[in-house]
Amino acid sequence: MTSYLNGLGAYLMSELWSEKYRPKSLKDMVNQKDIVERLKRFVETKSMPHCLFAGPPGTGKTTAALCLAGDLFGKFLADSFMELNASDERGINVIRDTVKRFARSRSLTDVPFKILVLDEADHLTADAQHALRRTMEKYTDTCRFILSCNYSSRIIEPIQSRCAIFRFTPLPREDTVNFLKRIAKAEGVQLSEDGVDAIAEIAAGDLRRAINLLQAASATGGPVTADVVYRVIGLVHPKKVAELLDISIKGDLISAREELRRLLYIEGYSGSDIVKQIHSQVFKLDIPEPVKLKVIELVGEADFRIDQGADEEVQIMALLAKIKLATLKGG
Amino acid sequence: MSEVPWVEKYRPKSLEEYVGNNEAVDHLIKWVKNWGPDRSKKAALLYGPPGVGKTTIALIVAKMFNYDLVEMNASDWRTAEKISRVAGRAAEQGTLYGQSRRIILIDEVDGLSDEDVGGLMALLEVIRKSRNPVILVANDIWQPRFSNLREICELIEFKRLTSRDIVKHLKRICSMEGLEADDDALKVIAEKAEGDMRSAVNDLQTASYGRRRITVEDVSWLATRNRIQPIFDALKLVFYGKTVNGAKSAFEMVDMDPEMFFEWVYENVPAQLNDPEDLSEAFENLALAGLFLAKVKREQNWKLLSYALECMTAGVAVSRRYSKPKWAPFKFPSRIRFLSSFKARRELLNGLAAKIALKTHASRAKVVREYLPYLRAIAVLNPDLFEKMCKKLGLTEEEFNVLGGLKEEAPEKPSKAKYVRRR
Repeated sequence: MTSYLNGLGAYLMSELWSEKYRPKSLKDMVNQKDIVERLKRFVETKSMPHCLFAGPPGTGKTTAALCLAGDLFGKFLADSFMELNASDERGINVIRDTVKRFARSRSLTDVPFKILVLDEADHLTADAQHALRRTMEKYTDTCRFILSCNYSSRIIEPIQSRCAIFRFTPLPREDTVNFLKRIAKAEGVQLSEDGVDAIAEIAAGDLRRAINLLQAASATGGPVTADVVYRVIGLVHPKKVAELLDISIKGDLISAREELRRLLYIEGYSGSDIVKQIHSQVFKLDIPEPVKLKVIELVGEADFRIDQGADEEVQIMALLAKIKLATLKGG
Repeated sequence: MSEVPWVEKYRPKSLEEYVGNNEAVDHLIKWVKNWGPDRSKKAALLYGPPGVGKTTIALIVAKMFNYDLVEMNASDWRTAEKISRVAGRAAEQGTLYGQSRRIILIDEVDGLSDEDVGGLMALLEVIRKSRNPVILVANDIWQPRFSNLREICELIEFKRLTSRDIVKHLKRICSMEGLEADDDALKVIAEKAEGDMRSAVNDLQTASYGRRRITVEDVSWLATRNRIQPIFDALKLVFYGKTVNGAKSAFEMVDMDPEMFFEWVYENVPAQLNDPEDLSEAFENLALAGLFLAKVKREQNWKLLSYALECMTAGVAVSRRYSKPKWAPFKFPSRIRFLSSFKARRELLNGLAAKIALKTHASRAKVVREYLPYLRAIAVLNPDLFEKMCKKLGLTEEEFNVLGGLKEEAPEKPSKAKYVRRR
């Protein structure tokens, strides 16, 4: 692959569209209207409380935080704004030290505080959250926190009560469609009506997914139709999970475990993605309808436990063993 | 790999085949010969370390004297009520109804749990009322709670077997199996077994797997066994233990953190159990254990640890209901090997995910989930564009190769299954 290092340039198409078209200012945000209005008032008054942004992926939490900070700090953004990711940082101590260094100095702007975004805050343990709460209080004069999470219920009460809570909702289909059409136009992509419908359907209110899917689908070079979209989604979510199920049911669990490990550790799929795909396969299984519902319950249980932090491989193996049994008994 | 365990296949059927413990054997035979309902010692308590032939000699003696053998496992009984119902009836019925005489064999007496005082009382009662000889088998009879039992039983001690005795039995097996074995190799097996015939026979079976001839080299791995021995004994309890209490104690036998112990159990479930119902049950119990372990780790919620341990030991032990006994070696957790052989690859993947994470205001996990699948799709649909995008994202050539699936490293060959010891 020596060619890889050559021929730098010609980037125009090569940026990630989800970044390229991410709004830079609150006024550019197309959805979450109520939230945006409240955030705009923070900018006007140059004051804000700690905030908790809760909602499903791809609904604009990070974007809203970035836009808010951009509008507040302008060219001083880099000094006054910082992002941390709870799921990447190793423990609360790292977060605390980082916050300490960041919050110690005052902002260079006329805004009397800096903003620290802590993404995926619901990944912190309860103890870590308590430590975080103390940190939030300590630096409250100089630093405002925006915590973002999928489920606010996983944030401890004392933090919730200190934050203004903003609930982000999945994007309405219309907003998704309009946004996709805008990008398609700007990128010169032919996007058919059934194509954009298919994307919106699959994305189900997750704009990041919608844009990524559009970009992948347009990589074919031809018009983006529903057929193309479904072909691409087949590449994005390959049939490997169907195969995994097949091996578990018809073959033995030792081989199934090897296959599962390939998916998890070599291909890098997350356990919850695999569970989600198993979910979508359940209705295709050759088992009586009531058993299918029983299996759905099992899938839900596995999903829940993985959310709770349980080992993905073990939970999925248990799920596969139970599905195998259900098909033997009910099939 | 499923094969009749040689321990069962070649369990001695007659005194001629039986080796070792001559004194104890004579003692037992004499006791059975002279047994009568008015004897003060109605039960014989055979005790000694595992694998020296206590149960085997009881079976042989019953056959010699033409007794019907009523065999029960003390640890199968949960309650006093059950003991008197099952054993009591068998013990009390004698020649009264004209059947041939019986020997009641009660195995694993020390498997009665500490709390099961009633069970022990019931056992004493059974012995007192018995109109048939009762043979009890136990490893350790010197616990205080057995003092009453010791008093009413004829105590017969079985000692560790000598290497010579063990070699003798191993040679018999080799000739029946048509297996050539160097004397030195058998000696190594016998010595490493430390007087335990069962483990020697299991070692022989393991060493013979796929071979017609066994040399010293073939058994050299036995030398390292002592180091890893406790885990095999612990796994034996988890997979073949008859009692919840026994299985629960498995974790205490090993000097290992709970997560590592979990890996061992988890690794071996699909090979040790073969019925889908058992497997489903065992995996579910492991999944629960895993959930508790995660809570312990993430929330430092240590009170949940005992649930985790119980699910992964007793929970797995009780899952065995329909699985056919089969001989399969216990294996080292392959996940650990798997993860380490793909470590370089995963690190590259992690590194590139971190780079993309910086550009997308997302976590690495989110990048893996939300971005990489699309990039991979683009790699297939439009390799040129994919290359440009990777450059734009600042990925190195190596990272580009890994992401595009252009370089698949072969995993290390899994090393051979190490060794098994179980009944």
